[in-house]
Amino acid sequence: MARKKGSYAGKILRVDLSSGRVENRELDPSFAHTYIGGRGFASRTLYNEVPPEVSPFDPANRLIFTPGALFGTAVPAASRTTATAKSPITEMHGDGHSSGYWGAVLKAAGYDMLILQGASPKPIYLWIDNDRVEIRDAAALWGKTTMETDQALRETLGDREIGTLVIGPAGERKVRLAGIFSDGIMGTFARTGLGAVMGSKNLKAVATRGTKDVGIVDVEAFRKAYQDYLQVISVDPYVAPATKYGTCRFMYHRVKFGIHGAKNWRLGDFDWKPLDPEVFRSDYQIKASSCPMCPVRCRREYRIPSGKYAGTVTKLEWETIARSMTCGVNDPEGVIYFSHICNQYGLDVEGVGDTVAFAMECYEKSLLTDKETEGLPLRFGDPEGLIEITRRIAFREGVGDLLAEGSLRAARAIGKGAEQFAMQVKGSEMSAGDPRGMPVRAVSYATSTRGSDHLRSNPYVEELITPEEGLQHFGSREAADIFQGLKGKGRLLAWSENFVTIGDLLGLCKFAYYRSATFDYLRKKGVELATRFYNACNGTKLSEEEMLQAGERAFNIEKAFNAREGAGREKDLIPERFFKEALAGGGPSYGAVVDRGKFDLILDEYYEARGWNERTGLQKRKTLEKLGLKDIAEDLAKRGRLG
Amino acid sequence: MPKTKTGLGDSKRKEKRRILYLSLPDHADRVCSGCETCQLMCSLEHAGSFNPKKARIKVVPLSLGITIPITCQQCEDPACRKACPEKAIVQHKKLNLVVVDEKKCTGCMACIGACPFGIMAYDPEKKRAIKCDLCDGKPACVQYCPSKVLVLAGNRESAEIRRRRFAAVLANEDSSARHNMAGAEQVKTLPRTMTQLAAESSKLQLEGGR
Repeated sequence: MARKKGSYAGKILRVDLSSGRVENRELDPSFAHTYIGGRGFASRTLYNEVPPEVSPFDPANRLIFTPGALFGTAVPAASRTTATAKSPITEMHGDGHSSGYWGAVLKAAGYDMLILQGASPKPIYLWIDNDRVEIRDAAALWGKTTMETDQALRETLGDREIGTLVIGPAGERKVRLAGIFSDGIMGTFARTGLGAVMGSKNLKAVATRGTKDVGIVDVEAFRKAYQDYLQVISVDPYVAPATKYGTCRFMYHRVKFGIHGAKNWRLGDFDWKPLDPEVFRSDYQIKASSCPMCPVRCRREYRIPSGKYAGTVTKLEWETIARSMTCGVNDPEGVIYFSHICNQYGLDVEGVGDTVAFAMECYEKSLLTDKETEGLPLRFGDPEGLIEITRRIAFREGVGDLLAEGSLRAARAIGKGAEQFAMQVKGSEMSAGDPRGMPVRAVSYATSTRGSDHLRSNPYVEELITPEEGLQHFGSREAADIFQGLKGKGRLLAWSENFVTIGDLLGLCKFAYYRSATFDYLRKKGVELATRFYNACNGTKLSEEEMLQAGERAFNIEKAFNAREGAGREKDLIPERFFKEALAGGGPSYGAVVDRGKFDLILDEYYEARGWNERTGLQKRKTLEKLGLKDIAEDLAKRGRLG
Repeated sequence: MPKTKTGLGDSKRKEKRRILYLSLPDHADRVCSGCETCQLMCSLEHAGSFNPKKARIKVVPLSLGITIPITCQQCEDPACRKACPEKAIVQHKKLNLVVVDEKKCTGCMACIGACPFGIMAYDPEKKRAIKCDLCDGKPACVQYCPSKVLVLAGNRESAEIRRRRFAAVLANEDSSARHNMAGAEQVKTLPRTMTQLAAESSKLQLEGGR
C-alpha cells in the first residue's frame, strides 16, 4: 500500500447489477484535472453513458456516486458527495449532494467514483470491502426504514465504522420524491428523485469499508490555507448565527424580505413566530453538531421531549421548516416529526412539502375531495394531515400513490387546471424563498440544470455586493440593486453558478464556503482558498480562473445533457403564479410579482454571458470548444441541438 | 517557606499531562460536534496522510446527535505496557508517557485488548499498535478542534475536569438535582451523554465478561 500522491484515490469502480460484473479502472489523471471531481466527474460520465433513449427507470440508466475531490482530507467542511442519474422527476440531468461519512470511506476503500448500471431481479445490497466487492442478498433489509437498514448493516457486517448509503420504503416503491441517505440519516441526496432510481435497480444499500490513506502533497501549504480559512470565518459575520442556530437561522432572512411562500407559494408573510430559531434552539436542539471536518457547525439534531411525538430524535434543516410553511404548518413539533418521517421513509422534504402543498390547494379548490383522499382532510396548517399524507406517499397508499409521482405528474392526472397549482421548474418542486420581488432569484430558479434550485446558483451574491463591486465584476452598479436592478444581473448569475459549482467539484459545503457577509470573504473562501486547498493536496498549480472554468465546464455539460433531452429556453421558466399573482399576506414584499419583461431581459443577458444562443437557449459551438468539450459540440450538432 | 513538592512546582519529574475532553456544560455550542477534525489532524501529524484508522484519538458516535471524543489517559502504570509480551511499550525519553517501539511491536493486539479506555489504535497499513504521544507536547487535535473542547491537562486540571464530570453523572442520578440545576443546558446536554456513556461502557464490560 504505497502512499498515494494526492487527494485522489486513483480508481473508478463500476458494478453491473444485472450481470454482477465488477470493473476496476485506473483514474486517468487528465480526466481528473479537467473535471476535478464530484459533480464534474459524474456529469461528464452521465453525458457519455445515458443517451435520450434511456428512461430514468431503464436498467441502462446510471447511478453514479462521486465524493468531492477533497473529501477524505482534513480540508475544512470538505464533506460532500454527489449522486447523479437521469432524474425520474425532471427526466433530465439529476443530481443530489450529501454530507455523511460514506464518501470519505469510498475514497479510503480506493475509489473516486462508483458507477452502478443494470438492475438486479431481486433485492440486493452492495458490499465494498476495500478491494473486495460483493453483491449480497437484501431480502432481510427490504422494507426497513433508513435508520433500521443502516443499523442492520453495521450489525451484520460486524463493523461500526463502515459507511452506508441506503434507501427507505419510498425508494423501494420508486416514489419520485425519494432520496438516498448516507450513514443512517447523517446526510441526504435529496433532490431529483434518485432514491427511486436506486429502488428501480432493486439496490437497497451500499455498505463500504475503507482503510487506506487519502494523501496530501504539500502539508505546509495546506496548514497555511487552513489558518487563513479559520481567520476568514472568525471575522465573517455570516458565521456566528450559523453556529448558533444551524440552518434554522435562514428564518430571519425570509422574514427580512417577506418571502416565505407560505400556503403553496401565495403568502409572503406568515405566522412564523412559533418557528423562531430561538424556539428550536432552546426547546429542541441537542447540541451544535457538524458534518465531517466542519468548523462552522450548523448541523442540528432535535429531540421532542414530551407530548404526542415524545422521544423523537431527528436531523432537521431549514428547508424542512420552509416547506412546512408551504403547507401552512407552524407547529414546531409537527415540523420536527415531519422531518423525522421523511428521514425514516427516505423522502426529499422539499419535493414532498411542495407536492403536499399542491394537494392541499387542490383540496381547497375541490379538485381533490374526501373521495380521493379517503376521508383525510388536506387542510393548510394541519400538521397531522401533512404527516399522514407523507406516510401515504412513502407507501404509495391511496391518493399517496398519485402524489408519489410528484406535483406535475399528479396535476396532469387530476386535470381540470390543476397544473397551475403545481409549483415546479422542469418538473422539480420549488425550494428556498419566494422569488417575487427578487428578479435575479426568479431567473436563477429557472436556469438551474436540475430543476428549481437555490443552491445551483447562489443568487444571494446580489445581496452582499456593493454598487462598486457590481460595476467592477458584472459591468453595472445595478447588479447590487436587489429589487430594481437589471443590468449586470445576468452576468452575476452566470458567474455565481460557475462559482458555486466549484464547491460541488471539491466536495466543499456551500454554507461553509459559498455564503458570506461580504463579496471579499466570499471570493476569498469560494475561489482562492478552495483552489489553494486543491493545489496543496494534489501538488497542482491550478489558477483561480482555471478553477472557475472547471465549474463552468461542469455546468455546461449538464446543460448539454438537458439540451440533448430536448430542453431549450422554453424550459428555463418559473411557474405562472409568480408572474401573475401578487404576493399576498402582507410583509415587506407584499404585492410583488415577477415582471415577465425583466425576467426575459435578465435571461437574455445571462445567455449572452454564458455564450449561449439567446433565442433558443442552446449552447454555441465555440462556447463548448472553449471549454474543451468539442466532442459534446459534435454530438449536439448531429442532433440539431446547438445554438 | 519550602517549595511545594506537588504539581507544577516539582521540576524533578516532568508533570504528567493528558488530552481530556472538556465540554462546557453551560454552553450548547461548546461540546464535541462530531466533526472528526481531531482524527484526521492526528493522522496527518503522525502518518503524513489522512486516515481515521491511523488516529490516536477516536470520536465515538453514541447515538443521533451524541458524539464523544475518547483520548489516551496516559495512565500512571499503563495496562497497555503491562499487557505487551514484547516489551514494546516503553517510556518516552522526554515526555512523561509511554510510546510504542515500532521495531519491537509485532501487532499482536494484546495492548489493544488491555486498554481500559479502548483507545490503543491499530495501524492497518503497518500492522502495528499506535498510541497517543501528545505530538511532542503540541497535540494536533487540541490545536485544531473547532469547538475548542479538547484540552492538554496537567494533574490538577485533570482532577478538576474529572471531578466535575463525575459530579455531573451523579447529579443526573439525583432527581432533585436534575430538576433544580440552574443551567438548563447542563441538564439537557452533558449529564445525559455521560450517563449514556456510563451505561454503554458497563454494558460492554458485562458482555466482555461472559
